Formats: sequence, structure tokens, C-alpha cells
Amino acid sequence: MNRPVLRAVGIRKGFVIGSRSAERRIDVLHGVDLTIHDGELVGLMGASGAGKSTLLHILALLEAPSAGEVLIGETSGWKLSISERARLRNSKLGFVFQFYHLLPELDAVENVLLPAMIQKSALEFRGARAELRERAEHLLRGFGLAERLKHRPAQLSGGEKQRVAIARALFLDPPLLIADEPTGNLDSATGEKVLELLLSEQKKRSLSMLLVTHDERIARHCGRVVRMADGRTT
Amino acid sequence: MYKSFLSWRYLTRRPVNLIGIGGILVGVGALILILSIMTGFLETTRKTVRGNLADLIIEPADRPLRSGAELPRSPEALLTAVRADPRVAGACAQLTWFGILAPMGEEARFSQIKLFDPQNAGRAGVQLVGIDTADEFQVSNLREALTREPRRDRVADPDNPFAPPPGYEPDGRPLASVVVGEALARAFDLSRGSELMVLTGVPSGSEDFKPSNRRFIVAGTFRTQDNETDLSRLYIDRRELIDLLGAPREFSQVLVKLRNYEQDGAVAAEDLHKGLIKQGLLAGYTGEVRTWEEFRGVLLAAIENEKVLMAIMLSLVLLVAGFTIYAILSMMVTEKRRDIGILCALGADPRGIQGLFLMIGIWDAILGTLIGATLGILGAIYIDSIERGLSKLIGVQIFNRDVYLFDHIPSVVEPWSVVWIVSGAFACTLLFAFWPAWRASRLNPIDALRYE
Repeated sequence: MNRPVLRAVGIRKGFVIGSRSAERRIDVLHGVDLTIHDGELVGLMGASGAGKSTLLHILALLEAPSAGEVLIGETSGWKLSISERARLRNSKLGFVFQFYHLLPELDAVENVLLPAMIQKSALEFRGARAELRERAEHLLRGFGLAERLKHRPAQLSGGEKQRVAIARALFLDPPLLIADEPTGNLDSATGEKVLELLLSEQKKRSLSMLLVTHDERIARHCGRVVRMADGRTT
Repeated sequence: MYKSFLSWRYLTRRPVNLIGIGGILVGVGALILILSIMTGFLETTRKTVRGNLADLIIEPADRPLRSGAELPRSPEALLTAVRADPRVAGACAQLTWFGILAPMGEEARFSQIKLFDPQNAGRAGVQLVGIDTADEFQVSNLREALTREPRRDRVADPDNPFAPPPGYEPDGRPLASVVVGEALARAFDLSRGSELMVLTGVPSGSEDFKPSNRRFIVAGTFRTQDNETDLSRLYIDRRELIDLLGAPREFSQVLVKLRNYEQDGAVAAEDLHKGLIKQGLLAGYTGEVRTWEEFRGVLLAAIENEKVLMAIMLSLVLLVAGFTIYAILSMMVTEKRRDIGILCALGADPRGIQGLFLMIGIWDAILGTLIGATLGILGAIYIDSIERGLSKLIGVQIFNRDVYLFDHIPSVVEPWSVVWIVSGAFACTLLFAFWPAWRASRLNPIDALRYE
């Protein structure tokens, strides 16, 4: 077995809702354990309200768990400071969202360069700008977007936007990619092509990937499928 | 890197930011322009308040010396003693008295001053100032007032202002010449060559008062930048005035011009006072030697105060610009919630998010203050051309030179004022940008990502 890239141990999450006089606690996750090994493609399935999104946000170090630990490699993500956690997210995790989440003011290349811009200081980025830009353009050309490099998100189709989002997620070569229903907002033909691209990149790069989906046909491509129900993995 | 890049991109791709920049630009530009004009106005007013006052004014008290001796009747000894001081550039004697003016002949019918009208009869009272032309020119700015544009009815020869006006053909014994203020000439409908009567009176003996009057010819007019002076003063040769009054003293005061007033003013006044008392030329009373600022102390303080009040009022413009920045950035933080979530997911930390929005404020401040300061300075330098162009365009004279008695709109750009305004605007913008930027940094990335 390969070494683990991500380990979640005993993840619990509860929310307090209602007014101060009538507070009510809702537990969404009840001690979830999950491990993703190097190069492994894991599917995460579950009905709406099963706790997938909450688990995903905790694994992505965006939302703190009520209890439990998330280890990225050997580093316990939730024991780090906010800035250290942000740096870890930048270098070790790649995200592909259902709604692409590209910045509308930037063109395709600039959107892909964004993780590098966040990672590097102005001086470092300026020094490596030509090389980074060349890499981003090369990546986008490889994804069939050679004619769309200077286009802004509003000028791209849904499939094209998602391919730009995948390029952005892969640009810093993170060991783990988290894809939250990457084809959920696309028609079936476009979704098929995007999924094909995602899976081929995963294979080519031996990338670890957590793929959240509702679709059984997509889940069949995963090496392992974790199902969630009522805040527990089954 | 993303902070400067993205902030600039947000700024350039969202025209709403131009409103913020515009607000600062207008605030800074208006502050510099209006303060420069105010400074110019105040400096010119300061000169006006000074009027024809010299650096120092020596007024021997009209009392016997402590030794019991009388003060000298003639100014010569006093002038010699004053001129002996190396700090003194020039000194002149003046004899001032009062008089009532009455136009003669045809002009009297057109006079605006109706002596029997109780509303303005008092304006017929004038100050008669007897001067020695050559000495006076060394000390006061009378020569400038004699040649100031427009030169309608000014004296024919400014170097010899009491020469008879050209074309004057006396009908008998020639009349002595006087030079009158432009506003006074206008009020009495006097022009070069007009005749006028001066009525006055002098103490005679212990209780008596002897009336005296004489006809004069107007040699021309002068124009200071003080309407009150122009309306109430009449210059006459000092010997002529002595002759009219038969005065017990040949001078009222000695005016002194220093080589460096700013450096020596107060000390020289004190030294001269002590020295002249020792020489028996002053009686030794307080206020016999005063600087012109002591003479006009209250008015000068009022002018300074006015400038400070104006600066405070104009700073409110910057405060409004600050609120505009606050409103725009707050709106942008709300609009960009999703972007904030994306940036957090990609590895930006709260401090970086705060820096990003603060940077937008910095760009606003840099562009607004730089362009505003440039336009403000250029506006202040070329205010006259701008005023003429605008007046021509709208067909209304914006700056009436007759009302203000200035030849041009006075404007003085003070470099330190510009530095203060720019720094203040910068600090104000950053202060107002800080709160929205801090709010952006506190956004929960998950809430931001859910925001569609």
C-alpha cells in the first residue's frame, strides 16, 4: 500500500442554530475516518444532507471540525496557524468546484496563474513570470484551449471554464486534488469530456484524488468509493 | 504578488472605483486650488492691511520731553539719526492732517458726494498727507500706486507727481498740485486737471481754532489695493501742507524702511526707540516706535484665523471623499464575496485578503491625490487664464477686478500646504479603506464560496 496523502481521523462537526433562548445543536458528522493514499482515486457519494460538503470543507482545511484531526502528509492541518494552513492548502491541495469559481476579471491564463501568484512574492513572481506564463499556456493548450488563452470566463463555455479550473488546480502540482461534483453543472456530453480529462490527468500524474459525485457512472471510474449517510461513512 | 495584481485589476475593470478616485481628486484639487487662492488673497490683503505703512513708524508723542525741552519742529535731526543705523535702508517724514474736500466749478454738479446728504456727507472728510517725494519713494510703495494699471487719470510723470498736469494754464497764480485716490476721484467726479477746494483748520493759541482753505489742481490719481485708502487720502507736497496749516510741527511721523525687516524688525524698533530717546529726539513714551505689524496686530491675527478656519472647512471635502471610498469598498467586498472564498481556497490567508482590499484604497489614494494635486497646482498657477476663459465661455465676468482692487486673482501655492493636503488625503483614504478591508478578511471562506 502507498503512503497516505490525506488522513481524517474521528471527524465530528456540529452546528448550533436558533436564537440564544432556544439554541439547538445539530450534529452533521459523527466521527468520520477517511484515508486517501498516494495515487488513489476515491469517490465520495451520498444523498443531499449526508454531510459530504461539510466533510469536504473540513478535509480542504476551509472549515474547522468540532473534533478530530486532518493530516495532510504528516502535517496536522488544524493544528497550524491560519497563515500556515493557507500555505499548506496552496501547495498541497488542488480544488475543482462544481461552479468553476474562476475570477471574472482575469483571463484564462491569469486564472491558472493565480495559485502561483498567491504562493510567490511580487519579486519572485516577476523573476519567474515568463516561465510560469509559458507553463500555464502550455497546460491550457494541452487541455484544448489554445484559442481561449486571453478569454475571460464570461467569454468561455461551461466545459471550457471547467477545463481552466482543472488547469488552475493542477498548476502547482499538488499531491491531492479535491473535485466537488466537477461535471454537476455541465450537460452530459461536455461532462463526459471534462471527466475524461480529469481522469487522464489523474492517471498521468499518479495524482491522489477525492471525487465527490452523485453519479454512479462516474463513481465506477474510482478505485474506491466511500458512501456517506447521516454523517457517517458506510 | 496577487494583492497588487488583483487590486489593480479590480480597480481598472470596475468603473465604480473611478468615483472614489474622482472624489479624492476633487477634494485634493479643490483644497490646493482654494487654499492657494485664499493664501494669495490673504497675502495681498495683508499687504493691503499694511497699506502704505513702512516697516517702522516713528511717531514722536506730542508732549514735551522729560527734560522739559520741546521736541524738534523739523524732522531733519530725527531722519539723520535714523539713517545712521546700518539696518535702515531709507526714511522719510510725513505730515498728516485732516481736511474737507469740495470740488470746484463744473465738476461739483456731477459729484456723487452731496455734501448736504446726511448719508454720505462724512465722506467729504479726507486725510491730507504731506510727503517729500524722493524720500517717500525710497520707503513706501507710493510710486507703484501712481503707476498701477489701468492708468486712466494717473499722474503724467510718476517721478514728479506734483508737477502741474499737462495742458494746465493757470488763470493767474498757478495752483499747487495734489494727487488723489482713485476712488475719491471717482466719487467726486474728479479727473486730471480738475480743481478742488480743501478746507481745514488748525489750533491757534490756547483755545482758538483757525480755519484755513485753499484751492488745488488735481495732478492725477493713485490706486493702492485698499479701497478705504483710495477713498480717503490726498497726497500733497509736505512744504505746501506746512504752508497751508502754518503747523507748529513740520511732520507727524517718520517712516522707516529696513534692509531686512523679517530679520531685524522688532529689535531695530527697540534699539531706535532707546537711541532716539537718548538723543532727545523722542519723549520716551510707549508706542513711539512701532513695527507695522504692531500697528495692525488685531487685523493680522484675524486674517491668520480666517485661513485656518477655511482649511478646516475644506477638509470636510476630503472627509466626504473618504466616506465615498468606504462606501465603494464596502460594496465591493459584498460583491466579491465569492472571489474572497476562491482566493482562500487557493491559499490566500486573511491578512492577504485584507491587504488586497487595502491595496485598492492605496491605488485610489495614489491616483486621486497625484492627479488632484497636479490639477490643483496647475489650476492655482493658471487661475487667471482659466478665469478669463470661463468668463468668456459663460459670458459673465467671474472675477471683477474693480470689486477686489486686484489686477489679477492672487494665488500662492505653498509647497508645505500641498505636502500636508496630499498626506492628509492619503491617510484619510487609508483610514476609510481599512474597515471594509478588515471586514473582507473576516469573511468565512465557506460562506463566501456558497455565495452565488
